[in-house]
Amino acid sequence: MRFIIKNSSTGCERVGILTDFLKKTSAVIETPTAALLTQGGSVVHLTAEVLSKVCPNPHLLWVPLSNSVHLEHGLKAQGEGVAKFAGLQDHFTCATLQNMNETTPSGHFENDKVPLWTKHGKKMLTADRYMDLMEVFKPDIILAIADGRTSLAEGSKRIFKSIERTGNMLHVCVKRYKESKELQNSCLVGVVVGGGVPEKCDISIEHILKHKDVLGGVAISGLTDGSEEFSMDHLKSLTEIFKRVGDAIPKELLHVVEGCWNPAVILTAVECGWDLFDGSYAVKLTNLGHALTLNFDVTSDTNNPYLLDLNDEW
Amino acid sequence: MALNFTVQAECGITKARAGLMKLPHSDVRTPVFMPVGTQGTMKGLLPDQLLALDCEIILGNTYHLGNRPGTQVLEKAGGLHKFMGWNKALLTDSGGFQMVSLLKLAEITEEGVKFKSPYDGSEIMLTPEKSIEIQNCIGADIIMQLDDVVQTTFQDYDRIKEATERTSRWLDRCLKAHKRPEEQSIFPIVQGLLNSELRRKSAKDHMTKNVNGFAIGGLSGGEAKDDFWPMVSLGTEVLDRNRPRYLMGVGLAVDLVVCVALGVDMFDCVFPTRTARFGCALINKGQLNLRHKKYLTDLNPIDKDCACSTCQNYTRAYLHCIVSVETVACHLISVHNIAYQMRLMRTMRENIINGTFVQFVKAFMKEVYPDFNYPNWIINSLQSVGINILD
Repeated sequence: MRFIIKNSSTGCERVGILTDFLKKTSAVIETPTAALLTQGGSVVHLTAEVLSKVCPNPHLLWVPLSNSVHLEHGLKAQGEGVAKFAGLQDHFTCATLQNMNETTPSGHFENDKVPLWTKHGKKMLTADRYMDLMEVFKPDIILAIADGRTSLAEGSKRIFKSIERTGNMLHVCVKRYKESKELQNSCLVGVVVGGGVPEKCDISIEHILKHKDVLGGVAISGLTDGSEEFSMDHLKSLTEIFKRVGDAIPKELLHVVEGCWNPAVILTAVECGWDLFDGSYAVKLTNLGHALTLNFDVTSDTNNPYLLDLNDEW
Repeated sequence: MALNFTVQAECGITKARAGLMKLPHSDVRTPVFMPVGTQGTMKGLLPDQLLALDCEIILGNTYHLGNRPGTQVLEKAGGLHKFMGWNKALLTDSGGFQMVSLLKLAEITEEGVKFKSPYDGSEIMLTPEKSIEIQNCIGADIIMQLDDVVQTTFQDYDRIKEATERTSRWLDRCLKAHKRPEEQSIFPIVQGLLNSELRRKSAKDHMTKNVNGFAIGGLSGGEAKDDFWPMVSLGTEVLDRNRPRYLMGVGLAVDLVVCVALGVDMFDCVFPTRTARFGCALINKGQLNLRHKKYLTDLNPIDKDCACSTCQNYTRAYLHCIVSVETVACHLISVHNIAYQMRLMRTMRENIINGTFVQFVKAFMKEVYPDFNYPNWIINSLQSVGINILD
């Protein structure tokens, strides 16, 4: 897969395409774009038949291992990757560790392992095991395994550990990626963590830049641990982080933002040159019975101007 | 005219027939299975998907629709067809069955069914007139009379007799209260539980009314199959040939095949969609419980001969992984199960028209019971209409 910037303005924002996917070289996904969050390999609540009515064109599917690792045996038996196994062979996949929409327990780290929180409990993953799974899932885009479940208010020591662990695991991921025949057609994306502490975050960026020739993109994580409610007060900090990290990484790399962010944050990130989002916000709203009626006027003073609450009032 | 039924072909040996039922919203080819969309939606399926599955009529539940969204909203929307975006035919029940089965405090009097609202605890009376008023508002092509529902296995003759006779009296009140006879057909419900004398009288009473079709009710409620089929057979024997016969609450494949042979035209049941939600997929040999570990690496579709979107796209291995975890699994298996029911009915219809229905029944039963270990009720019921499956 390749990312090509088609047009950038005088600011940071840009229009691009994802193309040259192995299974369909002519397919094009325009960026900025939000992926479709999957659970167990399927787009949440949508069968392949219904998805084809909603999105007739190929789309990028966001595949967190936390809700799909149990597909491993079936995937091995089939051998054609997660998109085909989940009946979505016309679409493309981006695999990552955890669904950022979910609240997970804090801690439980080991030196070279991060916890994967699944319906069946905690599974400790090394970078090697993660890449083994990637060889079975065969995604088009792989977000490197990272210790990214930290909030903006996280303590300095925890951030430092997160950056160190993520850097070490990235090293393993890059090595495995280079050696793997199965993954030669996938794009590896490095993950920046520790966004809440700028000087520490710079170290994480340095780790990424060491491998910039191998990586096809950079993702930003470590902005939320999934537990806190986002408020507009966070927007200023996030804007600074999007700018700071965006400025530090090569422009030609795909810029990915993980996390369940509302439209105001997404638009801010797009303004700062970020291209791809994980789509978890739409799922969160759906499960709450809220419909998006986005009019792109995020400066409006009314509360939640883009949400329609379909629940009964009791 | 609200309903025009034509028998297009009859099996020369059994009582099976293929018909065409013209309704205001759709032509319906019979024998037909009607999937149940309780609250104005088929759980897990869009109306478009039902159309793609060749579904011509579905069922809605008056009790649930009357509570939510309620008649005011339905009236404002212009009826259930418009509210749910379904342009083909609809049938609604009377609401009586849900009152008695769901509400512990229901009390049946001559006036109607009295019950406590599950929402605010207030006392509500569902009368025959009220049931028809709600169904007139919903606007289904076929609507059901309110009947006096008694548990099928109930033994008290006096109570069964009272319920049967009251059902006939309530039919008169329903017909009198009906405001849209040009657009909606009320079907009377033959009652009498397992008493053939009462059931025959009920059917004969209903035959004297100016109605476009009949339902056979009070069955499929836990009674023995040996008791079930003679009551169906009695119903189709008494009810006239020129009007459709609807057997309520029956949906198992074997039951459908036997009851079509006994002369039934219409069926409904929650079973195919309910069992799908528990991870069970229908095949001729019975059901696949996709939760079973043996499907972990099974790369076959549920049924290689099925053309539904689930069987075209998904393996048993994948369905096993997501069943009982992801909502999508319920949707996918529901699609297959409804496709299975539609295909079974279509196959029976084609065989009736082609004059090969008896051969179909024998081949079907052989597939379901490959060791020829047929239950007695199947042997006897089919024998009663001229099929000896032991041949």
